[in-house]
Amino acid sequence: MIKLEKVTKEYPGQTAAALKDADADIAKGEFVFLVGPSGSGKSTFLRLINKQEEPDSGRIFVAGKDIGKLSNWKVPMLRRNIGAVFQDYKLLPTRTVGENVSFALEVIGRPRHVIGSQVPAICELVGLGDQMEKYPHQLSGGEQQRVSIARAFVNRPLILLADEPTGNLDPQTAIGIMRLLDRINKTGTTVIMASHDRGIVDTMRRRVIELSGGEIVRDQARGVYE
Amino acid sequence: MALRVDYLAKETGYNLIRNPSLTIATVLTVAVSLALLGSALLIRSGVDGLNVRFQDDVEFIVWLDRDATSEQVSIVERALNDSPLIADSRYITRQETFAEFQEFWQDSPEIMASVEPERLPTSFRVIPTEPDLEVVEALAAEYRLLPGVKEVDFAGEFIKQLNSFTRTASTIMLVTAAGSLVASSLLMYNSIRTALFARRREVEVMKLVGASNSFIRIPFIMEGLVLGVIGAGFSVLAVFGLNRVITRSVEEAEIGLFDSFALQQSDLLPIALWLLVAGAAIGAVGSGFAVNRYLDA
Repeated sequence: MIKLEKVTKEYPGQTAAALKDADADIAKGEFVFLVGPSGSGKSTFLRLINKQEEPDSGRIFVAGKDIGKLSNWKVPMLRRNIGAVFQDYKLLPTRTVGENVSFALEVIGRPRHVIGSQVPAICELVGLGDQMEKYPHQLSGGEQQRVSIARAFVNRPLILLADEPTGNLDPQTAIGIMRLLDRINKTGTTVIMASHDRGIVDTMRRRVIELSGGEIVRDQARGVYE
Repeated sequence: MALRVDYLAKETGYNLIRNPSLTIATVLTVAVSLALLGSALLIRSGVDGLNVRFQDDVEFIVWLDRDATSEQVSIVERALNDSPLIADSRYITRQETFAEFQEFWQDSPEIMASVEPERLPTSFRVIPTEPDLEVVEALAAEYRLLPGVKEVDFAGEFIKQLNSFTRTASTIMLVTAAGSLVASSLLMYNSIRTALFARRREVEVMKLVGASNSFIRIPFIMEGLVLGVIGAGFSVLAVFGLNRVITRSVEEAEIGLFDSFALQQSDLLPIALWLLVAGAAIGAVGSGFAVNRYLDA
């Protein structure tokens, strides 16, 4: 599903590479943790997959296609197949839960009747079926992250990228979010999650790719944080 | 890529009311600069009309006293024929004058009815060898002194002065208009940039979920177009208003000479169209630059 070949990315003004000669092959339906300290290249890894960043060298394949060869106007099509969830949720404060989720479908031109049926269903799935009229500021952090997951998943993407989705949440709430991501993974969606939450990584026992200073130092099936 | 009309209207409308002071400033700047441009065009086309008239009209007219004797007429005729500065001259009889008069006033039968051919003067239509104003002026002064000559009519001097004055005025207006058009384009650019900044969260999410570039951009381009066209609409009203004022004062002045400055509606429409196109162009250019600068794919 996702393949990195000798991918290197440097940011201007920084001496160390954010990602150096990274090779990885992630199969359809896998759940992969990216672990490592801050600045080790986890976010860069994720941002390269949905073309928020371009690599300096190397090739990246998504669903068999070299995304480096993708013309600009096709990038949106790539992103429709890749949901993204962030530590800071990125919800729109002036829109309700339901509107935040339907926004993702509206802006890719989905017909109204599709939006009308899919949005309540996905809100139900993430456990917010009865809170669709609320605004983000009326929700807890865990609930806001569920809205953001609903928005990322409402278009049924092949891949879900999660950058520290539990970073702002207490352990109990984080477990709830992990259960949700696990459920989404079980529908066949490939999930890649950057985390430095040792407890979560150790409990889930999934594939772990460890980054250090931009290099992949460990790639282990059913791994632990360290 | 289906871009729904209701979505577009909603987004564009929201952008327009989100920052009313900037919206108003942008519309007014566009309106003022285009009004200047429109006024300059209005005056130009008035001057052009005036020149067409004048070029048709290099001849001057030597009006004879109504009771001039035939001897006096032939003295004037001989003087005209002998002068090397005169290419051609033609004697206009009372009947011919009356016929012209009838043609000129054909829409006003009451005026026509009040004039009898016997009461009209005769004249010479004179075409000088050179349409040079100074030559015409000297000739006019010369013939005015001959016995039996009542008046020598020529429009030259006045037209020349008016011409240079209006040319200068409209050039100044065009330069000012050009400057303020640049200013309004820059303000447009800033206005759209502010809209982009205000909506950066939405734009970020739209990019992440895979909205197409055109879907993200079109509402902002539309905002620019709407602002530009509304501004242009005000400038069209201003130009129509100015034309009405000019028309009224031309009518009051009762001098046919200025008629070309009072444009007909049909002459105004091309100017109005140009202003609307210019307004849309300011909007498209300003917002296009802003969107390209701040919405890299």
